[in-house]
Parts: sequence; C-alpha cells; structure tokens
Amino acid sequence: MKLLLRFPRPGHKTPRTAEVILETGAKINIDKANVDAVSGELIVDVPSDKVNSVAEHFREKGVEVRKLMKLIAWDEERCIHCGACISICPTGVFKFNPSWQIELEEDKCIRCEVCVNVCPFRALACVD
Amino acid sequence: MADTKKSIAEINERIEDGSVHVVTADRMSEIVTELGAEEAAKEVDVVTTGTFGPMCSSGAFINLGHADPPIRMQRVWLNDVEAYAGIAAVDAYIGATQVSESVDLDYGGGYVLEDLVAGKQIEVKAISSGTDCYPRKELETTITLEDLNQAVMLNPRNAFQRHEVATNSADRALYTYMGTLLPNSRNANYCGAGTLSPISNDPDFETIGIGTRIFLCGAQGHIVGMGTQHEPISRFGTLMVSGNMKDMSPEYIRGATLYRYGVTLYVGIGIPIPVLNAKIAAKTGVRDSDLTTEVIDFSVPRRERPVMMKVTYEELKSGMIEIEGKEVPTSPLSSFYMANKVADALKNAIKGGEFFLTQPVERLPTDTVCKPMKQTKELPLVKDVMIREVATISVRASIADAAKLMMKSQITHIPVTSEEGKLEGIVTAWDISTAVATRHEGLAEIMTRNVIAVDSEERLELVIRKLEKDNISALPVIDRDQRVIGMITSDGISRLIGKERRWQWKLRL
Ligand code: SF4
Ligand code: SF4
Repeated sequence: MKLLLRFPRPGHKTPRTAEVILETGAKINIDKANVDAVSGELIVDVPSDKVNSVAEHFREKGVEVRKLMKLIAWDEERCIHCGACISICPTGVFKFNPSWQIELEEDKCIRCEVCVNVCPFRALACVD
Repeated sequence: MADTKKSIAEINERIEDGSVHVVTADRMSEIVTELGAEEAAKEVDVVTTGTFGPMCSSGAFINLGHADPPIRMQRVWLNDVEAYAGIAAVDAYIGATQVSESVDLDYGGGYVLEDLVAGKQIEVKAISSGTDCYPRKELETTITLEDLNQAVMLNPRNAFQRHEVATNSADRALYTYMGTLLPNSRNANYCGAGTLSPISNDPDFETIGIGTRIFLCGAQGHIVGMGTQHEPISRFGTLMVSGNMKDMSPEYIRGATLYRYGVTLYVGIGIPIPVLNAKIAAKTGVRDSDLTTEVIDFSVPRRERPVMMKVTYEELKSGMIEIEGKEVPTSPLSSFYMANKVADALKNAIKGGEFFLTQPVERLPTDTVCKPMKQTKELPLVKDVMIREVATISVRASIADAAKLMMKSQITHIPVTSEEGKLEGIVTAWDISTAVATRHEGLAEIMTRNVIAVDSEERLELVIRKLEKDNISALPVIDRDQRVIGMITSDGISRLIGKERRWQWKLRL
C-alpha cells in the first residue's frame, strides 16, 4: 500500500520518517520525494499489515497522510495500445498482453509521472 | 501440377458469391510456412494488411460553401488551427501537424481531423482583404463535417514500408518525432506494423498501384500515387492516399501529441493484396524475422545520423534489444492491436461482400530515390566565423599567469592546453575570481575539464544551439588532434548575424 505524505515545513528538527520507522518497525520504502522551501512530499510503500499504524504515527507528528488507491489512472477508452509508455516507465508498469493490448501492474508505479506526458493520447494521469 | 493463376475479376466474383477465402497477413505467414507458396496461392484469394500509426504527412481538403456576403478566405483557422487557404475562395487544406494558436501542442490539425470525423462542432474564423466579387473581410461560424460540401483526406506520405529505430546516446533526453528518447540509450522507439505492414507484403508493387481501393480510417479510399520520398529500392516505399472523411469512423483516426515535439495524426490503413499467383503468395508470407531495419542514434542533430546496428521486427517486438551490450527496452509508437483490427475489419468487409478489389490503373515507380534538400542559403560554418588568433595557456601555468593573459588579451575564456597543445580544459574570469577566494594556485585545479568543443566544419546553427542550451558564451574550436585552432563566441555570432539580415529569420532573432 502506498501513502502520500505531506510534511509542513520540511526543515523540521526531528527526522519524522526515521522515527516512524523505529516506532512501528515497518519496512518503509521511499518511492518518491519532493522537497522544496515551503513543503515536503513523500510517496512511501508500506507493507499492508503496517499501513494503519504507520499512518497513525505520521498523523501524530503533524504529517498529512493520504492512502493512494490509484497510483496511475489509465483511461482505456483513450488508449490505442501504442506502447509508448512501456520503454519510458522506470519500473516496468506497462506490458503487452498476447493480443498486443497494454496491461498495467499498478502496484509497481512510483508516480514519477514520466508516462503522463509521454502518452500521445493523454490516457494516463496521476490523480490524488 | 498447374501453376495457380487468378485474376482480380475472378476474385471479385468469389467476393460476390461469398466463396472468397480471405486471411490477415500474419495468418498468411503461417499458412505459407506450413503449406508452401504454391498451396497457399490455391488456398487463399486475398491477404489483408493493416497499420495504425503516427503519419504526420496527412491532412484534408475541405470546402466550406459560400457565405453571404461572400468571402475569399485568405487565412482560415479551424478551432484556432490555421489551414492553408491559398487556394480558391472557400477551399482550404488542414494539415495534421499544424498546432493550435491558443493552446500550442495540446491541440492541432490532427485533432481537428479527428473531431470532424467524430461529428464535433468546429469553430471557423477567416479573414480577407475583400474584393469586388468577394466583399466580406471577416467571418466566424461553427461547422460540423456534415455542413462541409467536401472533406477529402489527402495524405501525401503514408503507410511507410519501414521505419528506423530511434535511440539516443547523449546525456540528456530528446523529444522527437519518434517520441521521448531517454539519455544514454535507455530506450528505443520504433514504428511500423511488421508482418502486417501493407507495402512489406507487396514490396515490388505488383498489386498495389494507382487506383487501388484501400481501407482508410474506416472508409473505402484509394491510392493516389507514390508517396513523397518514395524510395522502394532501399525498402522505403510510401503511398499517397485519399478518402472521403464523411465515410470514416472515429475509431481509426486519432489526433495525438508527441511530447515537446508536436501534433500528429494516427491513421488506420489496410490494403488488400490479391493472391494472383504463387510468387505473390510467397511475398505475403513475410514474417517479422524477415523484416530488418536500422537503429539510429538521434543524438547527432544532422541529416545523416549514425547507424548503430540492424535489427528485425521480431527482435523489436520481443520488447528488448541489445545495444552495445546493454539490454534496452523497446516501444512501438504504432499500435499492433489497432493494426490487427484494421486488417480484420478489411477481411470482414471483403468476406461480407462490401469491399471489392481493383486492378491498379497504373503501377507505382520502383526506382525513385529520395534526394536530400538543395540548400542555397546556409548559415556559414564554424571555420568561417571563428576567431583564429586565440591565446591559450599551458596546464602548468599559474592562476596569476592566466589572469595576466586575460587582462592583456581582453578575453574572458582561455583554453588550457597540454604540453602537446591538446585541449585539456578552459578557464574563465569567473574561475579565477573563485580561485582567489578559495586560495588555489595551479590552473589545473580550477579549470573546467569537461569542455564542450566544436569542430571547425560544424554548422553555425548547431553551435548556437549548444551555446544557448548550456548558457555558454564561448567555445573552443579544435582540429582532429584535439588542438585548439580557434574560438567562437556568442558576441562574435551576434555581430555577424546583425550584419546579415538573411540569417536573422533562421535563428528567430
Ligand atoms: S502510451 Fe498511452 S495510448 Fe499508448 S499504450 Fe500507453 S497508455 Fe495507451
Ligand atoms: S508514473 Fe512513472 S512509475 Fe508510474 S507508471 Fe508512469 S512512468 Fe511508470
């Protein structure tokens, strides 16, 4: 399960992510990090049995937590199965099935958004 | 055993009475492999091909009918996309790659064509200087495909026989007509339908010719003639095709945007190949493993790009090719799924007695070549404008020496050379001031080592792009032995272009 974390004021003194890892013992994987002067955003992958306690601990530390139900939205109606997304995706989310239709392994997605622009038919989107 | 010989008329009779045997080109490859060409020719009457991919050289002639008071349109826009109006009063040609004047690459001619076929409303704007017979100067209206007198698709170059495979060895991403190419050859994009490709199933144009009836975006269209840049000798045949947009289906015509490159149109084309004899059957037996193409390095911004290797469509379609010992994932930009759908739709139309084959009126040329452009107003080469008297400094010199040389020569960029005179780095006034602040002394410690240098034979356009891209103001010019033979500066280029008006438009100054 992936969580979207929004940190107010990234320059916070305590290392909140590290603390949550220690407190919950969850093996958290950081998929994506965006940090700028006013806010920080992380996408983390958390083992499903620890999701709730990890979310709870982050919230206690003032971090906004959202469960990402949809990592990458694919509009099948718009897609013509050109495969442009296949070779561009860093984690191999897309592949062809035997009849040359595109298939997604959504849980591999790290929301880098590269495919969103590359799709010539605007069939892909990262929605919150 | 007598050789099989069929005529188009006989095949059409079988279409009429429902006994025709039609297969798609991928199935035909299997049949020929199993039974051999002679048996396959007996067995099969028609092979249907199909392709669905980006075909930039596409567009349509439209006629809007006359307004009251009438206008002779001099410029016309459809949903803010300009169409060519330099023909009769209310005729125009809307080209696939023209981009929108309001939303740029998010919309363009390809989308206008798709929207027309989908029956959507299109905003029309036109202007004119007015004449005695066409007094009107401005026009705004809304139309749909139905409102047009004619909407005839005429695509100058479609159905390419094959395409080069694009990859990029540079260290930054490139945005091209072959899609986004990741740095360091991390992906490779290709195009074309492989075994289903129309021309690959009739590479000698024995049945495909002028007047051949084809499937074009769901309509029954025709081949008008050879496509532009038709070069069948090197297996780069192309077709010019035409069809009535009013009969097309939105499923087979789609506008598309290649990120940071431009707008194009995905066109669905299917061509029936009549299996008149065993020789033709053998050619329609073509497999992905028989079709080869070349991997090209797009990091070289010239017409002649280096060929890295040859690959077959079978290898490309496996999803991975090996470039210089590295596994590289591949993406087709055309859709095999849709190409199959086109070939199937054509097969069903023939079987259902709705689509009859035609005898070409004339054959297409098989010996034309695609010449490069004749260029008469080129920008000069680097060697024509470079400063030849350049001060260089040895890599063993001190920072103080470099500072003195800069003062004396009034130059802020000095190439640093080895004992043998080879380019080792560059030192700028900025480097020197930082060196003073950080108390460095030797030149070797502070110079920039990864210097971008240019060849004296390079075209100035490319050099200007380099200067702009990396925000550099001067580049050393080197010869084959890496020896510094000159310097090229952005000031020098500006001065030159200021003088020569004819170059200004080229550089969009
Ligand atoms: S790039 Fe877009 S249209 Fe092409 S296969 Fe992927 S999702 Fe479909
Ligand atoms: S957002 Fe990135 S990781 Fe996710 S599918 Fe697109 S390219 Fe792959």
